[in-house]
Amino acid sequence: MGDKDMFGKTKKHNRNKEQTADSDNCRNDKDEPISRSIEKVKARLNEAFSQCSDFLLREIICGEDGSVRMLVAYINGFVDKRVLNQDVICPTLEYLSKLQAQDKGSPLYELLKECIVSNSDLKEAENMQQAVNNIVSGEALLFIDGEERALVIGVKAPQGRQVAEPDTEVSIRGAREGFVENLLTNTTLLRKRIKNPNLKLEMLQLGEQTRTDICICYIKGIANEAIIEEVKERLKKIKTDAILDTGIIEQYISDSRLSLFPTVGNSEKCDKLAAKLLEGRVAIFCDGTPYVLTVPYLYIESIQATDDYFDHAFFAIFMRLLRLLALLVSNFMPGMYVALVGFHHTVIPFKLMITLAASRQGIPFSPFTEAVLMIIAFELLREAGVRMPRPIGQSLSIVGAIVLGEASVAAGIASNLMVIIVAITAICSFVVPPLIRATMLLRFAFLAAANFLGFLGIAFVSVAVFIHLCRLRSFGVPYMAPFSPLTASDLKDSFVVVPIWAMVTRPRILRQENSKGAAGTKRQEVRVKR
Amino acid sequence: MRCGKPKKIVKITIAAFLFMLPLLLTGCWNNRDLTETNIVAGLGLDRTEDGKILLTVQVVEPAAIQSSSSGKGKGGGTQPKPVFVESYEGDTVFEALRGMLSKVDNKLFASTAQVLILGERLSQEGINEALDFFQRDHEVEYKMDVLVAKGVTPKEILEMETDMDSIPAVYVKGTVKNTVSRGTVKKTMLIDLVKDICCSGRQLAIGQITKAGEKEVGTEGTAVFKDGKLVGWLDPAETRGYLFATGKVESAIVNIPADTGKIAMEIIRSKGKVNVKFENDEPALLTVKVELEANVGEYEAKGTLDSPSSLHKLEELLGEEVKKEIKVALDRTQKDYSSDIFGFGTQVHKYHPQYWKEAKGQWKDTFSKLPADIKVDAKIRRTGVIKGPIKKGG
Repeated sequence: MGDKDMFGKTKKHNRNKEQTADSDNCRNDKDEPISRSIEKVKARLNEAFSQCSDFLLREIICGEDGSVRMLVAYINGFVDKRVLNQDVICPTLEYLSKLQAQDKGSPLYELLKECIVSNSDLKEAENMQQAVNNIVSGEALLFIDGEERALVIGVKAPQGRQVAEPDTEVSIRGAREGFVENLLTNTTLLRKRIKNPNLKLEMLQLGEQTRTDICICYIKGIANEAIIEEVKERLKKIKTDAILDTGIIEQYISDSRLSLFPTVGNSEKCDKLAAKLLEGRVAIFCDGTPYVLTVPYLYIESIQATDDYFDHAFFAIFMRLLRLLALLVSNFMPGMYVALVGFHHTVIPFKLMITLAASRQGIPFSPFTEAVLMIIAFELLREAGVRMPRPIGQSLSIVGAIVLGEASVAAGIASNLMVIIVAITAICSFVVPPLIRATMLLRFAFLAAANFLGFLGIAFVSVAVFIHLCRLRSFGVPYMAPFSPLTASDLKDSFVVVPIWAMVTRPRILRQENSKGAAGTKRQEVRVKR
Repeated sequence: MRCGKPKKIVKITIAAFLFMLPLLLTGCWNNRDLTETNIVAGLGLDRTEDGKILLTVQVVEPAAIQSSSSGKGKGGGTQPKPVFVESYEGDTVFEALRGMLSKVDNKLFASTAQVLILGERLSQEGINEALDFFQRDHEVEYKMDVLVAKGVTPKEILEMETDMDSIPAVYVKGTVKNTVSRGTVKKTMLIDLVKDICCSGRQLAIGQITKAGEKEVGTEGTAVFKDGKLVGWLDPAETRGYLFATGKVESAIVNIPADTGKIAMEIIRSKGKVNVKFENDEPALLTVKVELEANVGEYEAKGTLDSPSSLHKLEELLGEEVKKEIKVALDRTQKDYSSDIFGFGTQVHKYHPQYWKEAKGQWKDTFSKLPADIKVDAKIRRTGVIKGPIKKGG
């Protein structure tokens, strides 16, 4: 089934660095058994967690002769102590105080597991490594003297902030819930929206040092199996110390690692993610970040917004076209201006020409230099707005408005037309957030080309960019779909948006096995083409 | 891998080569800043007494215009002039244009020229040669209005300061646009002129410009050419007759004398067609057929306009009036100038090519001798808000 021709690029991902010799003391021998002697276990744990001030051991000695010895190990602050006391320590103490010496050993372990510990989330650790891993993941471990297994008790305390509206993705209509840093909260939020056992959440851990929980999420029967396999394969190939954000995963699994254009999408909105999964995409959650990746990611997705589907189709179409316009303007406008002023005077209407010439009068820089200076000034302003501490925000906007807007024109450094152009360009680039970074750099390419060859230069760069875009693939799916290759049925959700009741089929280009949505009358199987 | 590498290089080379190819495409390739050009608003072309070309340009000072229009200019003190006018003599137009560069600070950019004004002397001596440059050069605006100055030199017109627009050339272009909607000037863009020069069987007719006051120009009337040389003028009324016949009237006000006062008709649509009737393979009759649609604009006569018969009568009167205008214009060009500006010859060329081939040379004479049949079919569409004239007293 998994003919990998459609993922021609994936072979490159093999070149990860060799696994370095691991100095981590608990990894030296993988199958180190849990010692039967509680003393040895204690010593072993203390060795593994030496200088870890947040590591706690609670020793329980009871039984009539004090012969029943147990050890509860956990990371302080990671587990909910009240639950631990209530579910584990209290019942154990209560029961064990009556216990006879001869009952110790295996029966006690089974008894504890089945009758005494009242926590619902119970697992077993078979060896020392598993035990240590579970402790660092925030579980409480219960070791029993004379037993080769340990009980893993899920008493992880809810961590992190409350579910809130995401700052980076705002929609007028639609859910205000955004993902948080906690993986389980996130998957719960998603499960709340898709109440279906076909929503699969496959866990794995990545990162040699961080051992971050990663969750691959898809809807079985809708998502393309080949893509799911590909995602798993690429994830497994990641060999790195730390996965601190999905951004790191994104860079490892992207099809074209050097491309300016994103081939992996991200979102922190639950409803958006649910919609993407229902279209047949695969999501990748990562513990510790609210950003969830979606693959495959197509170019057209950058001008799609959740509001488009909740609103009347006509407004949605208008907004789409507006975003497309913004995309074009933010890429081309400074370049076009430079080309017009420098090369193609003949196409400027007479009156506009006088205005242009008047605004350029006395400016010591060439239009190109002027444009580059102003754009850099703006980018600085934007970057400062992101990096600076919030309370100083006010002064920045004043400085930006007065110095860049007013003073530079008054001083004759920049023409007021250029200020307008840079401002419009900036506004437009914010309309299409996923492509902000790509347009930021492309803008300079267009500028330079325009300064060199005028419109011809702009045409050059555009052609090059288009060739690149059409070549690009995201997990085997052509990036410019549904335009290249033209997929007529997928055009319903491109520059135009047909009303939601007319959007019967799922995006065909994602090549699901089941391309009809629930509204479709006929189930049609679209096999992965080879 | 070893055999794959050279292939890749070949691929890249081919791609690079393909990318270089469009560099050979023609186009505007030189980067020249807008501030490093002088924006030409108007051009004037005349001939000096000793036979040289006198080129006059009107150049815009954008900064001065911006400050005067936005009111930023400092009150009192000397306002910078919005335009300056320069002249240069040369044997050819191109030489004069290039020679001008010795007097101005930046290169002249002529694509923005709004008007081209031809001098009377130049026109009399022939314009075809002088216009060659404007057809040949790539940086010429084909849509600029061409006018012939009557009783004034192009330089005087370009130097005229007007209160209505800071750029005199724009003002001139504006008056042409207005007069066209009155049907009393032939709007001739450079492209039309070029077409007419090439057209076999039609003589040139170019709009006329005069000095109407210290600060005003008048663009009414038509300059009639014969073989590229100015032979005379048509006054505004004749011009309108000429334009009616050729179907170039967009709108016009035609006054019909009535028993008391006059009736002003507003022409809203007009179609005109000229043709030549042949008998025995010889041209026998010039025909002009005009269809008009008009509204009653002003009615000073007696009676009301509420019956079909009164309207029909009015339609007839209007037809007669327009016919008269056409007749006058046709007579003038036939008898006085013997210049076929109507383009009867074109029709002959089109439908009787054999005859045209032989008689092309004598067409001027044939044309001036032929009788003419003019038919005007007028229709009245609207009579306005009121039926009859306002009753006085009461």
